[in-house]
Amino acid sequence: MDKYSLMVPNFLPCKEYFDIKKNNACPGCGISLAVRHVYKAIEGLIEKATWEAPAACDLFGKKSALSIMKVKKDKAEVVICFDNEAGGKLEDAIVKKMPAVAVAQGYKYVATASPSYPFDLFDKVKKAIETEGKSYIHILCPCPVAWKFEPETTVKVGFKAVETLAFPLYEVGSGFYNVTIKTMQPKKLAVYLTAQERFEKLTAKEIEQAAATVEKEYGKLVENVQAK
Amino acid sequence: MEATKFTQKMVDCSLLDKGTASPFSPGDKRRGLPQWDKDRCIRCGICYLYCPDGAVYRTADGYFEADEKKCKGCGICHRECWFGVICMELEG
Repeated sequence: MDKYSLMVPNFLPCKEYFDIKKNNACPGCGISLAVRHVYKAIEGLIEKATWEAPAACDLFGKKSALSIMKVKKDKAEVVICFDNEAGGKLEDAIVKKMPAVAVAQGYKYVATASPSYPFDLFDKVKKAIETEGKSYIHILCPCPVAWKFEPETTVKVGFKAVETLAFPLYEVGSGFYNVTIKTMQPKKLAVYLTAQERFEKLTAKEIEQAAATVEKEYGKLVENVQAK
Repeated sequence: MEATKFTQKMVDCSLLDKGTASPFSPGDKRRGLPQWDKDRCIRCGICYLYCPDGAVYRTADGYFEADEKKCKGCGICHRECWFGVICMELEG
């Protein structure tokens, strides 16, 4: 039987830091899954990490309705943003401006991540902690309650967001600009939008326009990657 | 009966002040508990990787089980398992 000894989580620390007694999340919560893997990456710094309330948090000089976690270690300052798209508008769902703003403001390491790709998320948080100076990580966390899908499909919806290029995973640092998860055959944007019941009233025309916007944004990203 | 006030102060899905839900544990009301078919399980650990609540743990023989106190029955492990080994046993 030992020929099947491949244990996937062997590549991650197996100790659980996520405190279940404090955890009042809904079943299938994307934030909960993301926080669990972030905690594994930052280990000893969990108690020093500070959380900011969604309504009052201050990010890039503007007030935003996102959950922010700040971690400090020696010279490194990491800002991790857990984005569950509480606003619920289509424009917010397909275009993410925050990482681009962070790059423009001179952050040393900027990355986007998704809890559907835990190893990718883990590596990026590790990298951010080891980078001197400010760094920013934007995590897209699917929310079964606000987005209206079955709790068991949380991870699948996260995959769809990346595979339809609505939320490409990339990292920007000093001297590199990479797309970390490359999709060879991108799916149509409608696959991602129709998986969520909150977008069920969209017309075919609106979806087409959204798809054009997504393609344009991805084109910009590819240009940036090739320029470096 | 006195009204109970809730104040949410932290963002990591936690309530600091005790409300009326304090005597309950997260696993008290769920749709179903995952059951593993040990004949077909290859012990890859995908269920452990994707569990949002850290409820799935590894037993001494290398197979996996869900902690009854932590599992909320979301069904992510059932959906993500490559070999369809996990089935949700409905409760209540």
